[in-house]
Amino acid sequence: MALASGPARRALARPGRLGLGGCGAPRRGAYEWGVRSTRKPEPPPRDRVYEIPGLEPITYAGKMHFMPGLARPVFPPWDPGWTHPKFRRLPPIHEQPLYKDQACYVFHQRCRLLEGVKQALWLTKAKLIEGLPKKVLGLVEDPRNHIENQDERVLNVISHARLWHSTEDIPKRETYCPVIVDSLIQLCKSQILKHPSLAKRICAQNYRLSTTWNRESLLLQVRGSSGARLNAKDPLPPIASREEVEATKNHVLETFYPISPTIDLQECNVYDVEDDTGFREGYPYPYPHTLYFLETANLRPHRFQPDQLRAKMILFAFGNALAQARLLYGNDTKVLEQPVVVQSVGTDGRVFQFLVLQLNTTDLASNEGVKNLVWVDSDQLLYQHFWCLPVVKKKVVVEPVGPTGFQPETFRKFLALYLHGAV
Amino acid sequence: MAAARYWRLVPRGPGLSLHTAAAAAVTAPEMIGPAVAAAPVARYPPIVASLKAKSKAARQRRVERWQAMVHAAESVDEKLRILTKMQFMKYVVYPQTFALNADRWYQGFTKTVFLSGLPPPPAEPAPAPAPAPALDLAALRAAACDCLLQEHFFLRRKGRPPLYREYETIGSPFLDQLVAALMGLLSAHNPALAAAALDCKRPVHFYWLRGEEIIPCGHRKGRVDALRYQINDKPNNQIRMSKQLPEFVPLDYSVPIEIPVMNCKPDKLPLFKRQYENTIFIGSKTADPYCYGHTQFHLLPDKFKRERLLKKNCADQIEVVFRANAIASLFAWTGAQAMYQDIDCYVKICLG
Repeated sequence: MALASGPARRALARPGRLGLGGCGAPRRGAYEWGVRSTRKPEPPPRDRVYEIPGLEPITYAGKMHFMPGLARPVFPPWDPGWTHPKFRRLPPIHEQPLYKDQACYVFHQRCRLLEGVKQALWLTKAKLIEGLPKKVLGLVEDPRNHIENQDERVLNVISHARLWHSTEDIPKRETYCPVIVDSLIQLCKSQILKHPSLAKRICAQNYRLSTTWNRESLLLQVRGSSGARLNAKDPLPPIASREEVEATKNHVLETFYPISPTIDLQECNVYDVEDDTGFREGYPYPYPHTLYFLETANLRPHRFQPDQLRAKMILFAFGNALAQARLLYGNDTKVLEQPVVVQSVGTDGRVFQFLVLQLNTTDLASNEGVKNLVWVDSDQLLYQHFWCLPVVKKKVVVEPVGPTGFQPETFRKFLALYLHGAV
Repeated sequence: MAAARYWRLVPRGPGLSLHTAAAAAVTAPEMIGPAVAAAPVARYPPIVASLKAKSKAARQRRVERWQAMVHAAESVDEKLRILTKMQFMKYVVYPQTFALNADRWYQGFTKTVFLSGLPPPPAEPAPAPAPAPALDLAALRAAACDCLLQEHFFLRRKGRPPLYREYETIGSPFLDQLVAALMGLLSAHNPALAAAALDCKRPVHFYWLRGEEIIPCGHRKGRVDALRYQINDKPNNQIRMSKQLPEFVPLDYSVPIEIPVMNCKPDKLPLFKRQYENTIFIGSKTADPYCYGHTQFHLLPDKFKRERLLKKNCADQIEVVFRANAIASLFAWTGAQAMYQDIDCYVKICLG
């Protein structure tokens, strides 16, 4: 049981729908059975006459009333000829127009992968490199990119998000997480005077992404939307040089047998294979620059673990990159001349995960060949803790109101990821 | 009580009554000589009105004591708490209202004079530090068009917007993008914009007293009571800065136009009374250094859209809706900012 966790453990413990409960009846929950007092009565069982093959039962249908001795008629189900929108029943899965025999494994924004980053790397045929790329780290250290009074302004932003922006004494994560990310982006945007090309970007919420790819006889799809996406007029320059890209041919993807790579993905037979970047043709800001993922749930079990969040970031960044690559270079699977780069930032308001993905190839069916590259900088704290109320012990203020354990490095990385491509 | 019937015609102490004794005590050292210390030591406590009697003087003394408590409080939060802790029934004023001719009523509630047209341009600060770059209208227009097109056309959303909320579902993100884009592009002309704070859908609250009424019923019937108002607003976006905007006209500027006076109670508007928390909030708490406001951006919901008002035969109310929204929202915001800065002045003016 040590290997199984989460959904696997729940599946193993419960006997499942086929296990028999009391009285030999199939086990069904209350939702499926319905409230007993309102349940429609069961129809009476058919007459034994219908079980005898070749015999035509004589029923009282023609007489229009019950007659003892005659069989109970069985009528075909009545088709009213029109459907009320409230009571519309979907056709069975096999008859739906988008039904396909091959199952597709869909990754959506609430999928928590069991194997986390390892599984995401296998699904996207990518190689992991710890730490951000040198180009981005160079932007971090460059003093020209620093904002004046940067630390003071970031501390103000943290205090504003965690304490000042709401009339409550202790604002909840659902409010403070989006406020802190918006304020940090606003702070990064204030550099527009130094770098005028920052004006060539726009943010989009509620976009709908959909991409499909084949991976070793498995059909995988990324679908849905999650958070905000920063779009730019110009693409991000590739980070790894051609030699490094060629060197990934020798890398072997890590498998995690006996766990299947499609675990925790939603398996469905009714799906659409069309690619959708989320925007129509002719959009003036076609290139995805950065994706922002916010974990805003108040309760810890509802939020993603850092590993699961990183896996989600990898898969959505990959989905956006693949859709963009197919739009630019067509649907054939090949190694890309100009790799597509997409960045991603995931946070729960305090801990940040940074990610840069470079899509080198759309040939994902085989395990050999050029791999994609993923740079991940995980678990960067912006501050250790924030005291909304002062801690007073024996009438002495031990901890004043404000953040503790502030790390300015995290915001510098955030700013570097924002400025990347415009500097 | 039998004892109280016999008034003492002669004062208790030997000699003069209390009043003359106190006066003599104050003036006596001056007459004695310069050798005595300059500050006279009052030998009796000061004569003041009673505190708990059922009299106007006692009520006045209680009011002054409360004002002194507000003045003596150390932080602005404490002062705000003392001012707003007692809850009474108050009118809830909605900035976005369907009431007819609401702008005239709101002018009366907020003591505002409405002047059409833009305010007089402020005097040029001399000398200008550097020649400002020319306003690139084409770039601003292009940015606005991009935001509009993205929200209305290019972005593929999932599902339909909820019923009668199409304008808000598309308009709210459009306004967010537009404000962000304009702030970025115009920060070259106004460097303070680059450092400003941008709030999205943050509440703004204000509580004030204006006017009086006679209480119609209840155990306090017949007495004079102040009229209380509360605005709870939620602008779509607002920009806050750390420096105050310069005033357009001086404080004592008087306009020949009069504030409209309505001859009936605010209930006729319709305005309803409710008792709940009195809050004063500009969008962030008092500790925020960005405590001065710059601009607010409001989105009118679908029920006030032009086509609907025209169908209801209320074509003249279109402008009334805009004006009432502006008067109420900005009065609340500026009033709350003033409370954050100088509360004692407010107490003296409105409650003194």
